[in-house]
Amino acid sequence: MANSQQNYFEMFGLEPNFSIDIPKLSSKLRTLLNSVHPDRFASSGAQQQMLSMQKTTQLNDAFAVLKNPVKRAQYLLHLKTGIDTAKDHTVNDPEFLMQQLELREELEDIVAGGNISRLNQFADKISELEESQEEQMSELFARQPLNTEELEKAIYKLQFLHKTLSDIEQAEDKLLS
Amino acid sequence: MALLQISEPGKSTDPHQHKLAAGIDLGTTNSLIATVRSGKAKTLPDLEGDHIMPSIVHYAKDGTVSVGKSAKLFVCSDALNTISSVKRLMGRGLKDVQKIKEFSANRLTASGTGMPAVETDCGIKNPVEVSSEILKALVKRAEESLEGELGGVVITVPAYFDEAQRQATKDAAQIAGVKVLRLISEPTAAALAYGLDTGSEGIHAIYDLGGGTFDISILRLEKGVFEVMSTGGDSALGGDDFDRAIAGYLVEQASIDKDDRNAYQMAMIKARDVKEALTDHDSVEINFKHWKGSMDRKLMESLIAPIVDKTLAACRRTLKDAGLKASEVQDIVMVGGSTRVPLVRQKVEDYFGKKPLTDIDPDKVVAIGAAIQADVLIGNKSDDDMLLLDVIPLSLGVETMGGLAEKIIPRNTPIPIARAQEFTTYKDGQTAMAIHVVQGERELVEDCRSLARFELRGIPPMVAGAARIKVAYQVDADGLLKVTAEETITGVKSVITVKPSYGLNDEQITTMLQSSVSHAEDDMKARMLREQQVEAKRVIEAVQAALAESGDKLLSKDERHAIEQALKQLAYISDNGDIEAIEEAIKVVDKSTEEFASRRMDASIAKALVGHEIDEI
Repeated sequence: MANSQQNYFEMFGLEPNFSIDIPKLSSKLRTLLNSVHPDRFASSGAQQQMLSMQKTTQLNDAFAVLKNPVKRAQYLLHLKTGIDTAKDHTVNDPEFLMQQLELREELEDIVAGGNISRLNQFADKISELEESQEEQMSELFARQPLNTEELEKAIYKLQFLHKTLSDIEQAEDKLLS
Repeated sequence: MALLQISEPGKSTDPHQHKLAAGIDLGTTNSLIATVRSGKAKTLPDLEGDHIMPSIVHYAKDGTVSVGKSAKLFVCSDALNTISSVKRLMGRGLKDVQKIKEFSANRLTASGTGMPAVETDCGIKNPVEVSSEILKALVKRAEESLEGELGGVVITVPAYFDEAQRQATKDAAQIAGVKVLRLISEPTAAALAYGLDTGSEGIHAIYDLGGGTFDISILRLEKGVFEVMSTGGDSALGGDDFDRAIAGYLVEQASIDKDDRNAYQMAMIKARDVKEALTDHDSVEINFKHWKGSMDRKLMESLIAPIVDKTLAACRRTLKDAGLKASEVQDIVMVGGSTRVPLVRQKVEDYFGKKPLTDIDPDKVVAIGAAIQADVLIGNKSDDDMLLLDVIPLSLGVETMGGLAEKIIPRNTPIPIARAQEFTTYKDGQTAMAIHVVQGERELVEDCRSLARFELRGIPPMVAGAARIKVAYQVDADGLLKVTAEETITGVKSVITVKPSYGLNDEQITTMLQSSVSHAEDDMKARMLREQQVEAKRVIEAVQAALAESGDKLLSKDERHAIEQALKQLAYISDNGDIEAIEEAIKVVDKSTEEFASRRMDASIAKALVGHEIDEI
């Protein structure tokens, strides 16, 4: 039975894994919303409406977390180990720190140069890095026992790449307008 | 003339009798009302056969209020007491609107709430009141033509309408005495109108250029589910800006004094004629005041091109939010009278690389879509027909130190949604915290729209940074916001349903409700009693239907008995009791069905999940 005690994976009838088929998940979300959405209760009593709003909100919330690889990884780690990487968290990884600095510098150079096609190439490069980071994350979560230190590092990297991608988008917005 | 309805053979209308519902397009320049009859959505005309009602209200000295065509007659002769484009004032502050030229002939003044109001010879009228007159006129038209009371309406708002503007629209409906089933955004309504006709799956862009607003929405249609992927636009950009650009040119050519209000109004009307004539002709002769001249399409296009380009910039942003390229859009739906302008169609086609759809009358398409949704919401259609999933159009945030806006719910998040964030005190011994709710995409609070301010008091004195204040935002399916602030260590709590800074409070609405019902207080009471009885009937029907469907499966004998007792009690009180007693009896039923309702919901989720697994195999 579905209830509010369920974790986000269970709400969608899934095992708690990092690998998720997003199009499948979103079609599952639509199927679920089809039976609980407030529009289905527009002429029901206040109580039903409240309940339907709560369920829909929970599903929307769960979907938002599972859809986003960084949030999904953080949630899964918390679910399995209780470690909360969403709060202030420092990771000691000097090698990645260097790579991070280089990538940021590269982005700043491109933005200063104002070249859109170079920016797009850079975005592709970061996307590739992100993809391989996600693959690594899947492997780390599949290992038993979990190597939490490695996982925290991996989440940190993924978070950085994700943030860089959104910075690129903002930079693109500025260049185009 | 009302048509008799004949139901499909084998499909009895009882017990789910066909209920009357309507969709309303409450537009800046024009408004329409539509309803679904015998399975087809149609706009309803007035007695003379006109479907479009100008969104104009005239207040005469003797207190007579006229709306629509009859009010339009006064636009030039009594400009002072005639209010057009009131939608532009909804949920705005006086400062926001003083520069809008439509109101140059009116006397704008501040009302007690910070919202602008119009001084007429018949008293000060705020925009919510004026809009409610338009709604009343539309509802009257529908009820006369359908020969029955409307059970509820769906009103459309621009997707880009912010919290304050949505709330003001809902308030206007409340004052007009109509039940709002849902506010939906105009482009979504247009998509519904097209989607159900063509049943085409895929990505749709809805380009909606009305008189005063521009909206662009990207929707995905899949297996009957409409999902808004992103939405954008400008709530102060529209075809009226075309008129203004042309009128500006006319006024300049005729060397008219800028303060001549009536002349400016005339120039606006002339400009509209010129714009419309140039849709089919390459050039027109113009007689304006003492000036005689001509304008060709090229000249007009040079005047309006910058406005059209602004709309395309918004398209680009919105596509990006949806993570799509222009070429991935399957079709583009054109909505709003301003999309008749050839330059608009051309530029949109160039941008998307496809010819836009213009099959349904762009003036009627929104009302038609709203009527379809109203029909679903009131329960005239079976459940799995169609579902609409909407998003919030603008980010919701809170002010943090240094006048920065911290986003709590980013734009284009699906609704309903709830999000929370923790904050802390910054001074030792701080016992109160001011919460400033803002909306918008900018980083600085002063560039965002202020929605509400409230205070959380009674925080126990602690060292700076020790308190944990959880600020939670909850947005319902209409896109309306509720904010809660709670100190989580001690549980001190403060809740506010966001009544925007530029809005009416509940007391003002009640006062306006009373004064708008120009009868004695008894009538008011009688109406409230009747509404309460209708509500009781609704509750009883809903619970009975639920019992019939799954009472045996989900309830023990005793549980079922308790619910049935509560229902009997409510039915009796509804016939014999007063407003408060009925309200109380409804609460008792609610309480008795709490567990049942929750089990039903869980069961339907479980069923949906299982059904899905089977589909996938």
